[in-house]
Amino acid sequence: MPGWEQCACRVAAVALVFALGLTAPAAVRAADAAAPWGIEPLMQQLSAVDHSQARFVERKYLKVLKAPLELSGTLTYTRPGRLEKRTLKPKPETLTVAEDSVILENPARNERRVLKLQDYPVLWGFIESIRATMGGDLKALRRFYRVDLEGGPAQWRLFLAPIDRRMNEVISLIRIDGSQARIDRIEVQEARGDRSVMDIREDKR
Amino acid sequence: MTAPARMRVGLWLGFVLACAIIVARSQFGADLAAFLPSSPSPTQRFLVDELREGVVSRLVLAGIEGREPEQLTALSRGLAVRLQKDEQFVYIANGEQDGLRADGEFLWRNRYLLSPEVTAERFTAAGIRRGLEQQLDLLSSPTSMLVGNLLPRDPTGEMLRLIERLQGEGGPQKRDGVWFSADGKRALLVAQTRAAGFDIDAQERALAQIRAAFEDARKERNVTDAHLVVTGPGIFAVESRAGIKRDAILFSLISTLLVSAILLFVYRSLRVLALTLVPVASGAVAGIAAVSLAFGSVHGVTLGFGATLIGEAVDYAIYLFTNTAPGTTPKSTLQRIWPTLRLGMLTSVFGFGAMLFSGFPGLSQLGLFSITGLIVAVSVTRWVLPELVPAGYHVRTAAGLGAPLMRWLGLARRLRVPLVLLVIATAGWLMVRGSTVWDDELSSLSPVAQEAQNLDQQMRNDLGAPDVGLLVVASGASEQAVLETVERVGAALAALRGEGVLGGFDSPAFYLPSIAAQRARQEAIPDAASLQRNLTAAAHGLPFRAGTFAPFIVDAQQAKRHAPLTAQDLAGTGLALKLQSLLVQRHNGWFAMMPLRNVADRVRLEAGLSAYDRSQVVILDMKRELDGLYRGYRMRALGFAILGAVAIALLLLVTLRSVRRSWDVMAPLAAAVLVTAGILLATGARLNIFHLVALLLVVGVGSNYTLFFERGSPGSADPQRTATAVLFCNLSTVMGFGVLGFAATPVLSAIGTTVATGAFLSLLFALVLRPAAPPPR
Repeated sequence: MPGWEQCACRVAAVALVFALGLTAPAAVRAADAAAPWGIEPLMQQLSAVDHSQARFVERKYLKVLKAPLELSGTLTYTRPGRLEKRTLKPKPETLTVAEDSVILENPARNERRVLKLQDYPVLWGFIESIRATMGGDLKALRRFYRVDLEGGPAQWRLFLAPIDRRMNEVISLIRIDGSQARIDRIEVQEARGDRSVMDIREDKR
Repeated sequence: MTAPARMRVGLWLGFVLACAIIVARSQFGADLAAFLPSSPSPTQRFLVDELREGVVSRLVLAGIEGREPEQLTALSRGLAVRLQKDEQFVYIANGEQDGLRADGEFLWRNRYLLSPEVTAERFTAAGIRRGLEQQLDLLSSPTSMLVGNLLPRDPTGEMLRLIERLQGEGGPQKRDGVWFSADGKRALLVAQTRAAGFDIDAQERALAQIRAAFEDARKERNVTDAHLVVTGPGIFAVESRAGIKRDAILFSLISTLLVSAILLFVYRSLRVLALTLVPVASGAVAGIAAVSLAFGSVHGVTLGFGATLIGEAVDYAIYLFTNTAPGTTPKSTLQRIWPTLRLGMLTSVFGFGAMLFSGFPGLSQLGLFSITGLIVAVSVTRWVLPELVPAGYHVRTAAGLGAPLMRWLGLARRLRVPLVLLVIATAGWLMVRGSTVWDDELSSLSPVAQEAQNLDQQMRNDLGAPDVGLLVVASGASEQAVLETVERVGAALAALRGEGVLGGFDSPAFYLPSIAAQRARQEAIPDAASLQRNLTAAAHGLPFRAGTFAPFIVDAQQAKRHAPLTAQDLAGTGLALKLQSLLVQRHNGWFAMMPLRNVADRVRLEAGLSAYDRSQVVILDMKRELDGLYRGYRMRALGFAILGAVAIALLLLVTLRSVRRSWDVMAPLAAAVLVTAGILLATGARLNIFHLVALLLVVGVGSNYTLFFERGSPGSADPQRTATAVLFCNLSTVMGFGVLGFAATPVLSAIGTTVATGAFLSLLFALVLRPAAPPPR
């Protein structure tokens, strides 16, 4: 029998990865052509983004369901580290990450819930991973993950493998696809076989 | 030495030796509850017991500070690991998930017995359908973090319910999984000792263990500049006992040295100096022995009070020696001054006698100690001391001191009018201030310094420990009876919460439902076949994969057959601690506490619970109740003090057989007590019970001076000699108590300041108000 906490965290983690797996901005400074491309230049490029707005479509492939769940809505990122995922379909619901808290709002159930990241270590790992990617903070990213990079500036793929044992019991791998300083897709492979894919399309500004 | 004299001295030596043996074997305590009444109402009794031995009294709060958070986190873990292995502690928590994991697993395993939502309706096709629809909602929302993989085993979401109910209780901030203060400067850890808070020896061992474990953890991490702060009722008891002991010993020593220096100057004889201390020492030993025999243990405050006995008991010997003029013997002097000496002792004994019968263990101890001490001291002065004085010894009145002294004394009477005005003004001011002269906070009784109390409060706030605010207390004859009551009250409170009357509440039944409630829940679960049928019907048309909920059927059937939970099933979880603090057995039955949060409407709350029998369910305002308890205590102590004063007045009237003579003795004392109280208030203090006791002591000590100045005092064979004797007595008293005023222990410093001031004023006023005609020879 799985421990309740592990289960909760696992799903928590997945949910947040989907929630946060965002976006990437259009306003990108021209990369320094002279420098050899790699993880550091990519992070630098990502860290230059101040604000971005995008639409997302998320599909959750869950073992308990016959068909995937499909959700859609908007994603907003503001430096430093403020994220908002506004689900519009199938039911409106908002998730906001600010500093060390997560705020969940469900207007239909008239609910507002604030969670402290410190209370959910695994969850915190996920949030930091996304935030660190968005903010181009490689040091923070490496605190939680083994980081690998494939491809080039025009089309890259980031592999994040959790280091922490407890996190590893929940998530086996996160794959983030992007081009330049834009994130196009986040795919999360769970340890127990569930999977989710979120496609992100940035708004014209 | 004659044969009877030898026998007296032998008897005395044997007595002192016996007392010393008793003292050496005595238990010493510093239990605040000793200063609470011994026969209060059942609710107050419950509170007092809770303070003495409840879970709250067993909690030690530890803080680690002085370094950056990463180091503090590591030290907190190191300390927790070490203490968890120690038998002296039943529970250690520093916020780490591993501790909470046990809680979560307990909730998960027993969710169908614990959840209030488990009713027959919950497992019908319609009930399950509603649950499944909610779960589907949650899966597609970010809150799916709280259901997720539990779904196949818990489609109706009972676990989520239980977690939500617990989270309502809030909790401390965390850093890297470890509890921290809000400012992030102090890592926090909670330990529950096996021993009760009043078992100070055990608490002392536990404290030493915590310090050693921290030292060990610090060495391992090699961080020398981090340090540990500990607080909690047990710690307070340990530290205040140590503090009082230290203060009592140190300040007794200092005042003994000072008084000895003065006496040596007067006596010019080491032997006589040593003899002066004989009655004091005998009295103190006898007093402690008497308390130990009568009460089983000696309170630290009583012990501290012993230091103050020096002030009064030393006077007896000083009177004896300074009044022994050349050509007379101590025995003849004693025959002359004995009536005055005896009356002085009796006034004190009458004053403290009231305390003896007050019904408050702490106060009775003070009374018994003082009375025994004084009687023994005066008896030793009367029957033993004269035998020990060297033959032909007499004190030379310092030449040139007597005459100017008498001149100043002559001037004192001119101050009569200003004094009367001062007394009237003080009395008026005290009347205007009314009840604000009293400090009615229970904490003012605490022998613990204010900074330590502040630290304790701050750490409690940081830990998010519920305020000692409003709670519902239910009582019953058995554990099950009280749990069933609590469940009914809980239903009423939940309804009131829905109406916004209160923000929430905690209940022992959340952690251990009554057996009746557990059985009802078990009966609400249908058999496997029916449950499967209902589930299939419920899942029809929903996107769940077939067979997903097979584990749910298994778990539900297991819960149905499970033996009902008992308190033992919670062992090893943090919830056990919670349960123990909310559900307690006392000698007069079982009690359950339901702390209330954010009560918005007290009136509607009381109305909502009015249906319950007042003898079983009461709403309790902890702080008000405790402060009320103390206020009642103070009022009664004041009553006993007044009773003591009346007894003294009657004693004087009967003994002196003259209203005028009694007035001569009483008027300066009353004025001194009044003006002393005024001075204390003017310097910003508010009077507590210890000031009250000290003022009574002022009457006891002061009467020794005023008795020598009343008309017709038989002690004044030589006015110069009397004046010198009284002056030195006063000087030694003021010094002895004045030094005590510098003690760090609030109780001791309150007594010291009050008695030093009062004793000085008693003498001054006695001189000012003394009768115009020289006393008859």
